[in-house]
Amino acid sequence: MNLKTLTMVALATSVVIAAVAQEKETLKVALPKPCFTGTPKDIKTENLEEARNGKPRDPIQVPTGTKVISKGCKVTSSDSEPIIGELGFVTDGDKDHDATTYVELGPNTQWVQIDLGKEKQVDAACVWHFHGEARVYRDVVCQISNDPDFIDGVQTVFNNDHDNSSKLGKGKDKEYIETNEGRPFAIGSVKGRYVRFTSRGNTSNEMNHYTEIEIYGKDL
Amino acid sequence: MNTTFNRRTFLKGSAAAATFLPTFNILSQQNGMTIGPKDDDIKVAVIGYGAEGEILCDAAMKIPGVRFTAVCDVWLLRRQLAKGRMRSLGHEVTTYEDYREMLDKEGKNFDAVIIATPDWMHAEHTCACLRAGKHVYCEKEMSNQLAKAKEMVLCQRETGKILQIGHQRRSNPRYMHAFNNVIRKENMLGRVTHAYAQWNRSVAPFLTVKKPIALETLQKYGYENMEQFLNWRWFSKYGGGPMVDLGSHQIDLFFWVWDCQPISVTAIGGNDYYDRQMNDNVMAMYEFKTKEGKINRAYYQVLTTSSRGGFYEQFMGENGSLTISEISARGNTVQREIRAGAPDENAWALYAQKGLVVQPKKTVAREVTTKVAIDARVSAQADGWPLPVDLLKPAHMPHLENFFFAVRKNKPEALNCPALLAYESAVAVLAANDSVAQRKTIYFKPEDFHV
Repeated sequence: MNLKTLTMVALATSVVIAAVAQEKETLKVALPKPCFTGTPKDIKTENLEEARNGKPRDPIQVPTGTKVISKGCKVTSSDSEPIIGELGFVTDGDKDHDATTYVELGPNTQWVQIDLGKEKQVDAACVWHFHGEARVYRDVVCQISNDPDFIDGVQTVFNNDHDNSSKLGKGKDKEYIETNEGRPFAIGSVKGRYVRFTSRGNTSNEMNHYTEIEIYGKDL
Repeated sequence: MNTTFNRRTFLKGSAAAATFLPTFNILSQQNGMTIGPKDDDIKVAVIGYGAEGEILCDAAMKIPGVRFTAVCDVWLLRRQLAKGRMRSLGHEVTTYEDYREMLDKEGKNFDAVIIATPDWMHAEHTCACLRAGKHVYCEKEMSNQLAKAKEMVLCQRETGKILQIGHQRRSNPRYMHAFNNVIRKENMLGRVTHAYAQWNRSVAPFLTVKKPIALETLQKYGYENMEQFLNWRWFSKYGGGPMVDLGSHQIDLFFWVWDCQPISVTAIGGNDYYDRQMNDNVMAMYEFKTKEGKINRAYYQVLTTSSRGGFYEQFMGENGSLTISEISARGNTVQREIRAGAPDENAWALYAQKGLVVQPKKTVAREVTTKVAIDARVSAQADGWPLPVDLLKPAHMPHLENFFFAVRKNKPEALNCPALLAYESAVAVLAANDSVAQRKTIYFKPEDFHV
């Protein structure tokens, strides 16, 4: 096989690899049952997305073969002693809302951090804070890094802190009302080991809650 | 770099409480919460830290001078939640499973009690606290049994303590402005002859929980099982169904606007969709006789199988109507009646100048045509004049503020919803379920509302 042939084979192979890499599929998120209870509250907040009136969110395209890569992963937090619940609830695969399935962290800006075990390709995420009533969590920020302290190589992939009140930078994403659909969003093949979610209370109280977070991606 | 505030890290790092408290005060003030303990704080306990108790306590903790010291709930998880959340907001509480033990051991450490237990326990809890010398804020409905509601009124009278019932719209500045100023003082609507209110909710399954309370504990406190404990409103032993849970708020408004009592209620309804004890839909018609001897009529509807229209109240007068809802986006306007002889837009512009309403940018003109004969029975669509008042606090906060003001000043007359007032609406609300059950009109006598 001469050099020209080798070059052509290599070129063809790279085209095939690129084609495979670009193959996409729609992300399918398994939803928990809806569970709104009690009297709806008057939600007054800036930066809220427009009401969807039952219309589903735009589908999220992810590379073919993308899977949940966060289930059972270790979770740490800025509040290491939650008020109720356990940090393990965040990745235990149970997204249902009831009085015993969520973890409550203290007031002000707090975060939870998922350790994927090693650097992985992260393509999408979905977060369920507390979906027992319509409420809005403030300053929802998702960041990815290989640094567990989030000092170096931090990539912000979702941020609806429109006024930078949590001091992680000003975000352009919109606030949203919690439902059983959670908040799925595309990330676009970012590499990293740690995924951190931040929030700063909600429209019903000052606390921060997580029922479940799912990270979608694949091994490198 | 972690720039967030971790309360436990902070606590562990604090050399002394003297260092902690002033710093926490600054943080608390920044968050609009109460500041550190003061000698003249009103010390408060809560009995029943379920979803409603949580809402009330969250709102109460924002009121300066209110300090929680004790929490009672039969569910350990809820006690843990209350203790942790209150601590994180600067309130150190002791928790109890049994309210009697709390009153015995902790009674000296609080002045007032918030009661947010299921309706069937309100009278027992309220009377025990009043007799222990405590002031009480008790959630509505007073009780699912009228005799128990009466007992609460009598107990308040006997002890002279302050007792507020949780019809929180009574202290909502939007409702106060609409009813006291727009309708009563300025008579913008003319004679209000009819009212309509509804609370429609979507189909919803019973609440469940993956880690229930031990059956032994539930039965110790009178609950057959976890399903009944979580969904107590749907069981006749503990509650009065949606008619009492939701209707109590809105039917109370008929009393407020008309300042009189009903002479009858005719209701239909049933348990037609779910296999539950209490009615899942009720439609009730009330006749109110005013002090001037006029009859006004009100229609109330509660559905639990469709959320169409949501929840709101309408008061319809000869010159205009008010549409109002606890969620302002669902109702916050006065609609001008457009007909011959009704006050015109210029007259209403004067109301806007007085600050009663906001003049809309574009109003509906009376329909005029020279070509088509207009049916005189059809009037043009009324235009909406928004109310200029908004509530920027949690919905229950003004009612709690009113309660704590009355406690601090020892002024029962300052309450916006004292027990006797709430008792009157309880008579009317509970009678709607009776009317459904008996399939007949219930007629009231004036003495039915007396205690």
